Formats: sequence, C-alpha cells, structure tokens
Amino acid sequence: MRKLSIVALAAASALALAGCATEAPVAEEVTGAEIRVWLVGTDTPQEARDYLVETFAEENPGNTLVIEEQAWGGLVDKLTTNLSGSDSPDVVEVGNTQAAAFTSAGAFLDLSDEYEALGGDDLLPGFVEAGSYDGAFYAAPYYSGARVVFYDTAMYEAAGLSVPTTLDEYISNGVALAEANPGVSGIYFPGQDWYNALPYIWENGGEIATFENGEWVPGFSTPESIAGLEQIQNVMTNASAAPEDGNEAEAQVPYCAGQIAQLSAPSWFKWSILAPADADAPGCPDKEESLGVFALPGMDGGAAAVFAGGSNIAVSANSAYPELATSALAIMLSEEYQTILGGAGLVPALTSLGDTIGTDATAQAISAAASNAKLTPASPNWAEVEAAGVLQDFFVKIAQGGDVATLAAEVDARIGEILNP
Amino acid sequence: MALAPSGMRTPAPPPVDGGRPDSAAAPRPRRRRRPLTPIMLLVPTTIVLLAIIGWPLLQLVIISFQEFGRPQVFGAPAPFVGLDNYADVLTDSAFWAVLSRSFLFAAVNVVLTMTLGTLVAVLMMRLTRFFRLLVSIGLLLAWAMPALTAVVVWGWMFDTQFGVINYLLSQLPGVDMIGHSWLIEPLSFFAVATVIITWQSVPFVAFTIYAGLTQVPGEVLEAAQLDGAGGLARFRLIVFPYLKSIFIVVTILQVIWDLRVFTQIYALQGIGGIREQTSTIGVYIFQTSLGTGDFGAGGAIAVILVIIMMSISIYYVRKSIQEETL
Amino acid sequence: MSPALLKRRVTTVALSAIAVVIFLMSVFPVYWMVNSSFLPNNAIRGPEPHFWPDEFTWRNYEVVLGEGGRAPFLPALGTSITVTLLTVMIALLFAFLAALAVTRFRFRGRKSFILAILVIQMIPAEAMIVSTFRVLDGWQLLNTVAGLTFVYVATVLPFTIWTLRGFVNGVPIDLEEAAMIDGCTRTQAFWKITFPLLAPGLVATGVFAFIQAWNEFLLALVVMSRPEMMTLPVWLRTFQQATQTTNWAAIMAGSTLMAIPVIIFFLVVQGRMTSGLVAGAVKG
Repeated sequence: MRKLSIVALAAASALALAGCATEAPVAEEVTGAEIRVWLVGTDTPQEARDYLVETFAEENPGNTLVIEEQAWGGLVDKLTTNLSGSDSPDVVEVGNTQAAAFTSAGAFLDLSDEYEALGGDDLLPGFVEAGSYDGAFYAAPYYSGARVVFYDTAMYEAAGLSVPTTLDEYISNGVALAEANPGVSGIYFPGQDWYNALPYIWENGGEIATFENGEWVPGFSTPESIAGLEQIQNVMTNASAAPEDGNEAEAQVPYCAGQIAQLSAPSWFKWSILAPADADAPGCPDKEESLGVFALPGMDGGAAAVFAGGSNIAVSANSAYPELATSALAIMLSEEYQTILGGAGLVPALTSLGDTIGTDATAQAISAAASNAKLTPASPNWAEVEAAGVLQDFFVKIAQGGDVATLAAEVDARIGEILNP
Repeated sequence: MALAPSGMRTPAPPPVDGGRPDSAAAPRPRRRRRPLTPIMLLVPTTIVLLAIIGWPLLQLVIISFQEFGRPQVFGAPAPFVGLDNYADVLTDSAFWAVLSRSFLFAAVNVVLTMTLGTLVAVLMMRLTRFFRLLVSIGLLLAWAMPALTAVVVWGWMFDTQFGVINYLLSQLPGVDMIGHSWLIEPLSFFAVATVIITWQSVPFVAFTIYAGLTQVPGEVLEAAQLDGAGGLARFRLIVFPYLKSIFIVVTILQVIWDLRVFTQIYALQGIGGIREQTSTIGVYIFQTSLGTGDFGAGGAIAVILVIIMMSISIYYVRKSIQEETL
Repeated sequence: MSPALLKRRVTTVALSAIAVVIFLMSVFPVYWMVNSSFLPNNAIRGPEPHFWPDEFTWRNYEVVLGEGGRAPFLPALGTSITVTLLTVMIALLFAFLAALAVTRFRFRGRKSFILAILVIQMIPAEAMIVSTFRVLDGWQLLNTVAGLTFVYVATVLPFTIWTLRGFVNGVPIDLEEAAMIDGCTRTQAFWKITFPLLAPGLVATGVFAFIQAWNEFLLALVVMSRPEMMTLPVWLRTFQQATQTTNWAAIMAGSTLMAIPVIIFFLVVQGRMTSGLVAGAVKG
C-alpha cells in the first residue's frame, strides 16, 4: 500500500508540475450554464452551501450553480448509473471508501493538473490516495471525520481510574469498568464494528493487506495482527456487553441508558448524545456533565492510528462543462470554504486548517486522531470485501470467541482471493 | 349438486354451463375465425415489455458473456470471455450453498404463506361485515407499510438489547431474554426472516384468494359451508376447483418472489447475524453486481437462476397450459 | 335456544375472535410505527419500551412536513401519486386486454407468450438496473414521470396479466356468448359483461400494482436523480445521515404519511367492488 501511494503521489505531482502555471480556467465562452453539484446528506452546513453558490456566481458571471442534495442510501447505485448517463451531474461528493470504485472505472475527470492549485501536499494524504488511481489524481479530499473515544467521567471517578495513555491501559480500564459495573460495557464493541477494530491491528504493526510485487498480500495472520486480534477478542469478551452480532449504529441509545463507560465513535457522536430535548433528534443532554473525550491512545503513547471516515469530491467525466465544474470544485477546497466546514466540526481537507475545528477537548482529540488516521487498502476490488461483509463476519466470529489464528487464516484466504482476482 | 369436477377445466360453473359435453376445451372453431384480434389485444403489452424488459434483458445476457465491470459501464471496451463468468459462478461452492439455502427457505415460506393466506381468505368469507372489514384493514396496513420501515420496526422488535419481544418474554417469571440475539444463529435468523416475510405476503395471498372466492357462485359456497364432518373435503372438492387457476398462479408467484427475496434478508444482515451463513440468492446477486461492480458475473448468476427456475416450473407449467387450467 | 342456533352463535363468536387476533398480529408493527412517530427520537428505543405515546409530540410531523433545507414532502407526494395512478390504470388496461387474448382465444404463440410472462418475473431486478437506466437514457426519459411510469408498467404488467388470467378464467365464457346472442358485438361483450365481473380480480391486482409502484425504491432512485423529481420512498431515505444520528422518529412519521394514500386507494376501490357489480351478474 505504501509503495502504491508513493507512486501515485509522485505521479500526481509530476503531472501537476507539467501542467503548472495554468490559471484557474475561466470559461469565457460559456454562459447560461447550470452546474449541478451533488452533496450527500445534510453534513455540509448551510453557510457553506450559500458561500459556494454565491462565490461561483461571482466568479462565473452568467452561469449558475445548483446544489442537489442526495441521500447516502443507494448512493453507489445512483452514481454508477447517473455518472454514465447523458444527464450526469457535474460535481459529486462520494464516501472515501467508495471513491476507488469510480476512480478506477474512469467515471471522474483527471484532476492531476489541478493537484497543486487545489492544495497540493496540504491535502489530507490518506484521502488523496483514496482519490488517486494508476498515478492520476481524480477525487480531491472534501472533509474527514475522526474516531475518538467518549467516556463516562463519573464511572471513571467511581472506579478511581485516570485517562489512559497507552492502548493497553485503555483496555485494562475497560475490563476494570466492566467488572465494577455489571451490565455496563467497559468498552462498547459490537461484533460488526470493524472500523473500530482496525486500530488494534495497526497499532500492533499489522496491516489489512499490503501491496508487494504487484500483488496484494493479506495481513491478518501475521504475528503482529494476531496480537491485535487477541486484544480485540479480550475487549469483546471481557469488557463489552454489546451484542456479539450487533452494529455500531445507534450507540447513543445504550449510552443514554447508562450502559456504556467508554466507546470509540466518530466525533459527531458527541452531538447525538448532547442534542437538546427540543432538537429534531434529541439525545440525553443531562449526560453532558459526565461526558469526557480523548483520542484513542497508541501502543507507545500518542494517538493511535484510527480509521478515518469522510468524503471525496470529484468532477464527472461526463460533465458538459468540465472547466466550470472544476472551478466549482476549487471553491469547495478554498480556505474560506474549508474553514466553514471546520467550524461545523468536520476535519477540513487542508491539513493547515486543522485548528479551525476549535480548541476545546473534543476538537483537540479530533485533531490528534486525524493526524494519524488511516484508510483501507486502495484497491479497486476493496469494495467487494465490504459488499460481501467479509470483515463484519470475521469480527462477529471473533466476538463469539472463535479461535483467532484459524479465523485469521480463513479471512486472509478470502481477502486474497478478492483483491487478486 | 354433486359436482365433483370431472374435467380439468376449472372455471365453468355448472349452473350456467349446463353440462356442456366439450368442456375439456378443445379450441372452439369460432375462436379461430379472426386470428388478428388476439394479436391486437397483445400489442400494447408486447411493445412495453419488449422495450423495457426485452431489450435490457438481451443486454444482460450479452454482458454475462463479457468481462463487464464498472469501467465498462463508463465506456471501456468489454471483451468477450466466453463461458468464463458461468464457469466461475458454477464452480464457486458459495454459490451452491446460497442456492440450496434459498430453495429451502423459499419452500418453507411458500407453504406457510399459502396455508395462512388461504385460511384467512376462507375466514373472511364467513365473517360478519364488520369483522371482515377489520381483518381487511389489518392486512392492508401490514401490506402498505413501506418495506424499509417494516424491516426497521421488526428489527427493533427483535433487537438484542432493547427489543420489545425480549422485553415481553422477560416479563414471564423465570425468563431472562434481555441480551438474547435472535439473529446470530442462522436457523433463528431465518425464523425471524420467515416471520417478517410471511407477515408481509399473507395479505396479498389472502386478498387474491378472497377475491377468487367471491367469484364462486353463492349456492356452491353454501353447499361447501354446510356444517358437519368433511368440511375440508367439501372445500377441496367443491370450492377448490373454482379457485385452482388462481391458486396455481399465486403459488407460482410466491415461489418466484420468495426465491428472489432481497430487502428483508439484506436489511436483517445489517442488524445482526453472519452474512456468509445467511445470504440468499437475491442478496448474492446484489453483492456481485451492484455491490462489487462485477456485472458480468451478476448477469451470469441471473441467467443461471432463471434457467433453474424455468426447468423446475416448465414441466408443471406446460402441463397446466395444455390442460388450460392456467 | 336450539342447539343448532347455539352452535352457530358459538362459531360466529369464535371466528370473530380469530379475526381480532389476526387483526392484532397484522397491525402490531404498524402500531409500533405510528406510536414511534408520536414519540421524541430519544424515547423510541431504550431499556423500557413505550407502549403508547406517553411523551406525545407532533414534532416529527413538523420536521417531515417542514421545509427546513431537506427535500420537501409535497412535490414528492405529487410525483408518487401521479406515477402510481398512471401505472395502475395503464397496467390494468393492458393486462385486461392481454388476459383476454390468452384466455379467450387460441392462436399460435399463445403458450410462448404465457411462458414469457412467467419467465420475465423470474429475472432478478437487481441485475438489470444498469441496462434499464441506459434504455431510458437513450429515449431522453430520465427524470420524467413518463419514463418512470413506463418502467413501472413493464415491471407490474407480467404479474397483472398472470393474475388477471386466473380471474378471467373464472368468468364463464357462456355469459359472453349469451350477450352476443342478444346482439352485442364481442368487444361489447368483453366490456359490458366480462370487465365488470372481473372487479374483484381487478381490485386485488390493482392494489398490488399500486403498492409495488408506491413503495419501489431502487429504480426511482436511479431514474429520478433530480431532487425535484424524487418519489416518496427516495424522499424517506433522505432522513438517514452519515454524520448525524438517524432521526428514526421522523422516518416513522414519514412512513405513516406514506401509508395513508394506500389505505385511501384501497377503501375507494373496495367500495366500488362491493357496490354490487358482482353478485347479481354471476347468479343471473
């Protein structure tokens, strides 16, 4: 993986150099065009949307930009069909783990020439890798979300614990909390939650799969990964009371019911818990007092490598106005726009704007976690691993107490088959 | 009215039919007089089906012989690979496991749905107006519930931690079901899926068979409804022949739908359980084609599935068409 | 009270009791949906279930019907109703004609047609999405009511024909023949005798077609890509978010709203059906 990413980045910057000094293309001939931008969900704040529409209109007089809000459900199906059709949207947001399916298919316009202008090395590296394929840069980072640990300070106090500084401490705290509070998860860890299992693998030096000599080599059965898997099984069986086959969605329900002492979750999870009683989706704001947050600690202290969720953004290869679409995308990666995203609690696509998300404990935890975030293998076939639910099944079986080495060998065989067709 | 049906021709009710001798349905000469008419009647249907089903279907078959992934959707050339996709699918042990699982699951669901649906339909015939409306509304509400919502609500009801079913069972003395996962064991998973699918399919079966029952002349029904021993036999011998046509149609449809079931299984897998042990053929096709982007293999599975279903049903269907019960 | 009368009374009560049980079992999940739609989102799941809306609120309906940045309800309702009603009417008409052709006539290709209708229903829809999309794209029918209706008609037509066939078989040919002896043309006989007699079957298949078209998600998602053209099932999914808790209470409120037109449709056609077109004619 590392090798691939270096190649991709080198190629991307080489291309960017070759095509340097081209001013942001102003489409003088085109007027009356309507640029359609697909944003997914309500995650982009209204302020950013307004900024995008207005700035685009100013920079491209005579042309308009419309934002069409899409839903996450069925997004890949919708993109697969509509990007290939005659009525294609011009700019689309796509989940970072979904991006590879489209970059490798030729669905997006090659943005290698724009790489430097869009931010260059300042762009979130993992997301650049996710948006690159075969040495070309197709989908720019849009925003990221980091996973941080939320914990119940009251339970911590009652058990006389302090915030952990290493992964081992985090685990032993979890086991201690579960023992001290029957029915409570010391670390809430449902079996299907594979995103939160990855840090244990990475921190022990393991990998999901590495790219060596033109082939993907799955890595769950390496000694390093096995050590991580044993930690996971320990947490799942001794610290977690979550359903062995459950998923990570809706974790605020057990949290609000006082059944969770610690859990690792996306940073926005805080707002699910603290949403006031008169919000659309109220949480349990009375828990604010006792809600603490820290970045998941690594094996040797510091922040652990955690999985980064988030979005990429790209121009459709079928866009009727590629120049205008690219200029719209450039606005979305501008400092002003990304600062607005940061203010809304999203990790900006430009690493230099990392401090725009604030300075409170949550923001600090987010920044710390984001600094060390990782992604899944950048193989176009990775989508199949996710579609078949290979990792969900794997970790459910771990949660059930299966033999780690046997299960790891099985899942490696499966992943190897899929990634090297 | 001793009218145990002699011929296989279902519909003609004897009071009107008046003992026509040729009811074994040799084509009547008069019906051949203007062969143009039936063709004209079929024109609208044929146009729609050829355009919206026929043409994409042809493409699907072609794709199944090609290497066709997402790049091909976006215009990359699609090389022909002969029977490679078929060979890959047929030699994959997962495919056969999924297929046999699907058949078993469909068989259980069809039998259950048809039995319950028929019983409810017969019951509706015997209810007073008010209770009939009550049952109709109940069935309709179940049927009308949006699929996503239905699975979500059933998922909540069977939830491991906060499910109302675990909660109610735990109210029984000596029972503690809180934390019991209904989905982790494949057998239990499919039991839950069966409950959800039967719950949603019974309304259609019940309504259709009830509609069929209302077509049966009253005196025949009265004859069948006479109390006393042999009520079931009377139903089978007297009422069923009128319904046979509808019954076969509905059964075949249920077989097809239950074999292809997708939404409920896919959504339940997101809630719990192990995918590898619970996938049915519908989920498998989705995973392969839209999930993974391997449309060639997805097409091949679809074609294989249709061929299997056809070969199972063809004998029966042909026989039925010959006998004109369909 | 005579034993026979007593027995009948007991039977009636027993059957009514069974009817109530069936009603309750069918309705419980629906009740749970409606119940949840009147509760705040943080009350619909938890260690203590709320069996009735004891923290009653209209808020979810306000959220669902409000404009607040999200896709509005009314245009989606309009699109859904238009597409669904057109689908039902066209499908029933075409299917009636086709069902007549295959039940009342013998012609070359009849068996192949019936088989084709059956086989079409075996094709997994999930495998055909991309091809279907391309066909519509080729005819410039994306994001149009006509395009989606066209697809839905094709989707429900095989089923409608297949089922109506069973019902047409149930109408005695002799009735048509009698009408023709009385001076009707064959077309008149079909329209005046057979069509009304099919009312129960038309209702059953019509309700089916309605619910299919009303609840269909994947095709609507792909074909109606512009937000102003979305249908209700697609609209319902806009409540699921990536970086927020899903507002399930609002989804339940939206689902409840979505179920209402189906019930209205059913009651209307049910009323038509029982208004006496059937009973007399058959016995006549």
